[in-house]
Formats: sequence, structure tokens, C-alpha cells
Amino acid sequence: MNAPPDHSEQERLARAALTRVFEPGDERGGRWIREIGPVELMRRLSGTDGPARALKGMTAARLAGYRLRASSADPGRDLADLAGIGGRFVCPGDREWPSQLDDLGDARPIGLWVRGRPDLRLWALRSVALVGARACTPYGAHMAATLAAGLAERGWVVVSGAAFGVDGAAHRGALAAGGATMAVLACGVDVAYPRGHSELIGRIVEQGMVMGELPPSDHPTRSRFILRNRVIAALTRGTVVVEAEYRSGSLVTARNAQRLGRFTMGVPGPATSGLSAGVHELLRGEGVLVTDAAEIAELVGEIGELAPARSGPVLPRDSLDAASARVLDALPWTGGMDGRDVARSAGVSTDEALGRLYELHSLGFVEREGDGWRLTRGRTRDGVARRGGT
Amino acid sequence: MGFARACSVALVGVEGVVVEVQADLEPGVAAFTLVGLPDKSLVESRDRVRAAVVNSGAEWPQKKLTVGLSPASVPKGGSGFDLAVACAVLGAAERIDPAAIADVVMIGELGLDGRVRPVRGVLPAVLAAAEAGYRHVVVPEQTAGEAALVPGVSVLGVRSLRQLIAVLGDEPVPEEPAAGRGRPDTMLAGLMVPGAGLGTGLAPLSADGAAHRPDLADVAGQDRARKALEVAAAGGHHLLLSGPPGAGKTMLAERLTAILPPLSRQESLEVTAVHSVAGILPPGEPLISRAPYCAPHHSATMQSLVGGGNGLPRPGAVSLAHRGVLFLDEAPEFSGRALDALRQPLESGHVVVARAAGVVRLPARFLMVLAANPCPCGRHTLAGAGCECPPSAVRRYQARLSGPLLDRVDLRVEVEPVGRADLMGSGGRGESSAEVATRVREARERAAVRLVGTPWTTNSEVPGHELRTRLVTAPGALMAAERDMERGVLTARGLDRVLRVAWTVADLRAADRPDASDIAVALELRTGILRGVPAQAGAR
Repeated sequence: MNAPPDHSEQERLARAALTRVFEPGDERGGRWIREIGPVELMRRLSGTDGPARALKGMTAARLAGYRLRASSADPGRDLADLAGIGGRFVCPGDREWPSQLDDLGDARPIGLWVRGRPDLRLWALRSVALVGARACTPYGAHMAATLAAGLAERGWVVVSGAAFGVDGAAHRGALAAGGATMAVLACGVDVAYPRGHSELIGRIVEQGMVMGELPPSDHPTRSRFILRNRVIAALTRGTVVVEAEYRSGSLVTARNAQRLGRFTMGVPGPATSGLSAGVHELLRGEGVLVTDAAEIAELVGEIGELAPARSGPVLPRDSLDAASARVLDALPWTGGMDGRDVARSAGVSTDEALGRLYELHSLGFVEREGDGWRLTRGRTRDGVARRGGT
Repeated sequence: MGFARACSVALVGVEGVVVEVQADLEPGVAAFTLVGLPDKSLVESRDRVRAAVVNSGAEWPQKKLTVGLSPASVPKGGSGFDLAVACAVLGAAERIDPAAIADVVMIGELGLDGRVRPVRGVLPAVLAAAEAGYRHVVVPEQTAGEAALVPGVSVLGVRSLRQLIAVLGDEPVPEEPAAGRGRPDTMLAGLMVPGAGLGTGLAPLSADGAAHRPDLADVAGQDRARKALEVAAAGGHHLLLSGPPGAGKTMLAERLTAILPPLSRQESLEVTAVHSVAGILPPGEPLISRAPYCAPHHSATMQSLVGGGNGLPRPGAVSLAHRGVLFLDEAPEFSGRALDALRQPLESGHVVVARAAGVVRLPARFLMVLAANPCPCGRHTLAGAGCECPPSAVRRYQARLSGPLLDRVDLRVEVEPVGRADLMGSGGRGESSAEVATRVREARERAAVRLVGTPWTTNSEVPGHELRTRLVTAPGALMAAERDMERGVLTARGLDRVLRVAWTVADLRAADRPDASDIAVALELRTGILRGVPAQAGAR
């Protein structure tokens, strides 16, 4: 937005402190930052004098809450802590800031705590979110891993939330393919949550990147997961939902993505599965059905990045014109047939039938047998065997 | 002064050790000492034997009596030595000829009235005696049929000590009233192993029981689960059935034994020996020729599953399911310890249990069928069923089946509730067990022919390197599986499992080697992810 390109250290510190004061996605806080700047806002919130009350929408009760948090904020230590484990803090206006997050308006993150070497902005430009149920079925895990591996092979960054189930499978799939993956956490980036995924999160830090809005050592809460989803939706070009029930956080991500004008995609499952019911509902609405990585890439990728055309094999027989096909159909499965009989069975004149038969002969479909005609033996196996349309 | 000896058998697990029972009479104060590592129940034998001898009309020697059981180092227990002790004492007292009993193996408990009562483990005991070179055995009459299964041994079934004394002395054999057949045998009832799934197939079948054997024809629909059952039976692959309650998981599992081939003579003896030791051999049906079925309740302890108990371990559910089916319904509800204890028998086909009194190796080569609900309420995967279990609870529930255990399960099938169309259409009946059993038998024969000259008989036993080097699939058949492996969704061990299943699928189809469609079926069955295999592909 209109923040100066070169951040003063003061503003960075103020923003780092404000991540501890405001919950993610606090639009009121976002508006104040926009209006008076983070440094001034932080100064007002940490002081005990009056000007904070002058902020639009501020009540005494709210102010008390903010002040309580502001008094315990120590951005210098937070930044140092994170730097100690190889992390950094990225603010709006930084060269590395992914500007698509600005689409969130006042709810855009105050700043992002990041671990991992790659450039956040570059990675986010070519990223797709893969989200889904935590308690997924083997099918969900398989699809997530396969799609993630396919996307990674095509040079896309797979973004997910490091949760159990689909999220974890997506990260693992991308890592297994040696590709790029990014985890957006709903807690401090130095906290491994869920605990069972601490090793996975460690690998993502090594091979990809982990980021979040919350300051170091903050813990996740129910609402923070939901608010985290808006970052996933805004950051990526599109969101793919692999498995989701009707009531699912993944659908929140998908709806966020829709609202922000990103692509929303769904991977279908069995109609009997409750775990795919939410996805199917999405697909009945705005969502686009995808079944593999090429289809996702076609949707979110550049012009010309097309998935290969999907159709059944084209058989030589399909290219015959209608009359020739009728003549060919008239020939019996085994044995020969007289030209006149062929004509009668195909319902064409004898001359026409003979003409077509010679044409079919030159194409190799039929051969002469004495006075009559019969199907070429080898062909019946592959070409004509599909007569029934099976 | 006198000395005599007879023989009996001590059971260590399901193996017998021939024990010499020596009786020695010395002049002196009347006393009765029993030496040679007897346990409590064996020490009590002194009182039983004395009462039985007196009540059988023989005289109890009023001298210093010592009975020794040798080898003295083998722990001995139970009441099966009574008969041998009584005869050795009578031989020492010269009531009977010591030479007549010296090389006779005697097994049986004595009642105070002199009646001979049946004991557990007669078959393995007689097998051990035969192996050790003994040719004559005396057993309780009720178990004579069991003992007679052992070739090369002459078996005498007796009802009472009085009868035995008469036989040994070439006297006219007195008639004894037979024990009431209809009366439940309290002795056998007391020996039954808790958690062994009695009443679900292990309990004695009634005479017309065969007519009511569950048949696969009763299962409507469930094509995939039926297919999995067939593959499991043909290749000996372990199976996991998951699905909501009422989908028919138990019904399917109960029908697995019916499509397994009948046991070979050797297998029958192994199974009968285990059941004999456990004391659950139905009277009047001495040889078990069908694959057994054992379904322990999920409250079963580790000891009841793998074998245990005071002193020397008794066979647990895994051994009772030897050469048959072990069905664990509600598998996630079993304790983690109990489930993980299954890993050794799954891997090696036997279980080694150590107790204070010794280490015992029990056979346990079974086909494991696990059934699981998807979540605590069971409705998780159903559309519109309103499962309210939080995702973390669902995960926890599913994670109760540990990775190493599930890794040994080759087939994983979702069982969906049967729809109205399946239930009512085609009379609600599917293919019968007999038809499937025929295919299974043929497939097993194909596998056996292919594996001739190797230590394995079924596809599930073949190790991975053999699969990959010696047994070659059709060219290009593995493409789908290799792609999965590259993407990290299939592990190397997973690929081996898929290959094993694919061979079984090919065997069922009477094909020489697996092609791409067999691999696809195997991938479907192993991973539970549909690969678009036509419903009937590979089935016939």
C-alpha cells in the first residue's frame, strides 16, 4: 500500500509488537494501522494517556485488553528469538512481501513470521493450496499426496496448513517429489503443532518454508485455525479441497478463496462418503472438478499451460464416414458375404456397397474371399471389436 | 522291598516330554513322598491315588513309599500322572507285574472312587510318547479316540483303575457304568480358556451343526469385501475390514473358514494337539479337519491372546486359531499391548511365551481378520449420518491400530452398508461358499506348484526378494505401482505386499503371472483406493 519502501527499524518493531496485540484478522486493528501507522498505534496502546481512546471504535473495555497485551509485548526479543533459529519477520512493503495478501483489506496480516530460506514473494506467486479433512480416508491422503507430488513436479509450490490428514499428506507428497512446499501455521512458527508433525514441520523448514501471523511461542486456538485459512486462500492462486465434510474448515478456506477471486477446486470422492460430501457441495456451486495435477495447473497456471486433452483412444474405425461404417457393420463377424447381401443388410444400393467395400479393402478393414467379402482377421481383435460401443 | 516304574507325559506348551514314574517301597514308617518338581495339583495326586487304589479293591502298601518323576528337572503339573503313579505303586507292591507296566505310557486323572477322568492334552502327549518309541498307551476312555489318531501306537481306553488292574493282570475285566454322556463334563468346562471365542465356532458343534454353517451365499452385495475374502483365503493374506456398524463385517469374517481348504492330515494333528491342550476338543470328534475360527472379545488380555497362565503357559487365542482364522472384532478397542503382542506370531507363525516355570513355544500360524469402525460412533465415513466425533478423536481411534501391525495386513477393505437394491435384488443371495472354495483350492494348488521346492506354500509367506527376483510379472504390469512409489505414496515394503496379493489374484484367475489388471486389483485391495478395476476383473 502506501507504506514507505524502506522500513525504518522502528516500524518493523512496532508491527512485530502489534502481532502480539491483535488477533489475526482483526479488521479494526488493521484500519488503525492504516490510519495512523503502526508506530503511532503502538505508542498509543502502550501508553496510559488519552489519545488511544480517540481511535474510532475503541471502547474502554477493548483498550484495557489491548493494553494488557501491549504491556507484555517485547518485539526486540521476539525478533531476536526468531533470528536465532534462522527466521525473519516480513512486513507489508518489504520487497519479500506477497502483495496478493493486500486483497484481504484491513484483515491482511500485520506481518508474517517466516522460517525457511526461499523468497516468500516469489514462492507465493506460483503456489496452490491443498487442504482437506484432518481425519481423512486413505483415498484422501493418497489423492493429496499424488496431487502435491504432481504439482511439485510442475514447479508449483504446495501450500497447506501442516495439520494431520490431507494437509500432512500434501506436504509429504511435495517433499517426496523433491518439490517446494509451504506451511501456514496457526501458531508461532517456532511451535510445532500438531506435535505429531514436529518432524514434518522440521523438514518443511529445511526444504521449503513455514510461516504464520502469530508471534513466536504463541499457541493455536480454534478461531486462529479459521483465521489462518484466509491467509492460505489469499496467498495462493487457487485452493484445492481434497476431502471435506459439510462442516469443515477446508470449506472455509475455499469460500475465502472464492470471495477473493481465487480459483476453487475440488477432488471428487464416492457419493456415499460423508467425507466427500462437502467437496461435492462445493463442486455443485462455483468449484471446478479436478482429478490430477495437470488439470489444476491448467486452471491456475499461465496461458498455454494446458492439461493434455482427455479422451478415449481414437480407433481407425471412428474416422470412417457414416455410409462406410454401415457397410462395415453389415459384414458378419465370421465368414464371408456376397456383395449383394452386404448391400441389402446395409440398406444401400449394390453399386454403393461395392464402392464402399473397395474403399474399406484399401483401408485394410475387409478382404476378398472368393466372390464375397469378409472382415480382415487381425482387425477384429482391436478395431472392430468395439462394435457394441463398450 | 520293591521297585516298579511306569511312564507318563508332562506337557510343555503343546509338546510332551515322556516322564518315568518310579515307585520304591522300603520297610519303615508308612509314608508317601512325591519328588521331581511336582506342582500343587500334582502333589495332591498322593491323596487321590491312595483313595483310588483303596476304593478299587487293592491294598495300599503300609511301608515307606517314594515316588519319583524323572527327568526331575522338567516342571510337571496337572492330574494326568495319577494313573501312572497308581500303577507304579501297585507294581512296587507286586499287586501287578512290574514288567507289564514298565514300558506303558499312562495318562489320566483318578477320582477318589477309582474312576479314570479325562485330562487335557492327550493327543500331544501320545504323539510325544510315540516319538520317544513307546508302543503302548493307556488313556481315559473319553480321549481314546484322540490318542488313536497317532499312528503306530496301541491305545487302551479305560474307565477305571479297577479295569486297568484287571487288564494288566489278565483277569476278567469288570464292567463299569459309562460316565453319563449327556451330563456336561465339569472337568472340561473348568479347563476352558477365557477369551477363546467359545460359542463362535470353537465350541463343539452339535450333530447337525454342519447344516447351519454360515455360507457366503447369505451375504448380499459387498462385492469388494467378498473379493478380498477370497483373496485372503487363497493367499493367506491378513485382512482389515473397516466400515460402519451393521455393514456386515462380522458376517463376512465368520464365513472365511468355510472357503478355506480343509486341513491336511499334518495340519489337523497340529490343530487338534493345541485344542487338546486347551481342553476344548469336542468329545466324539477327536480330529479337527476344518480350519478353526477364533473370535476373542475385545476385552481380551495379552495373556489370553498369546497364551499364558500360572506356571507353564496355556495356548491363547492365537494358538487356538492356528491354521485357521483369528477374528478381532472392534480391533481398535483391544488394548495396545494385546494387539502389539500379535506381531511376533504374525511374523514367525509361532509364539514364544516365557513364564517362571519355563519357556514355551506354541504354534500360531493364523489368518488374521481385523474389523474396525471408522470412529468411536461408527458413522464417520457415511454421508449424511451425522457423525459428531471431532477429527482428533477419529484420528486417535484409527491410530490405535499401530503401524507395524497394519503393515502386516495385506488387504484393507471398506465395507459399506448394504443398500436396498443389493439386499432385495437377486434374492439377496450371492455366490455360495462351495463355489468360492473351489476357486480358492485351485488357486492354492497353483501357488503350491509354483512354490514347490521352497519352504513356502502360500503367496503371503514368500519373502520380498524372492518375489522380485524369482517370480516375474508380465512386462509393464508394475507401471502403476512404480509411479506410486516414485511419488512416495507406496513404500518398498508396500510394493512387496502388493506383489504378493497380485500373485494371489492371478492364481484365482488361473493366470500364469500377474498382469497390469492384477496389480491394479492388488493396489486397490492393499491401499483401499479405487483404481477403476471393473467389478468382475480377476474374479473368474
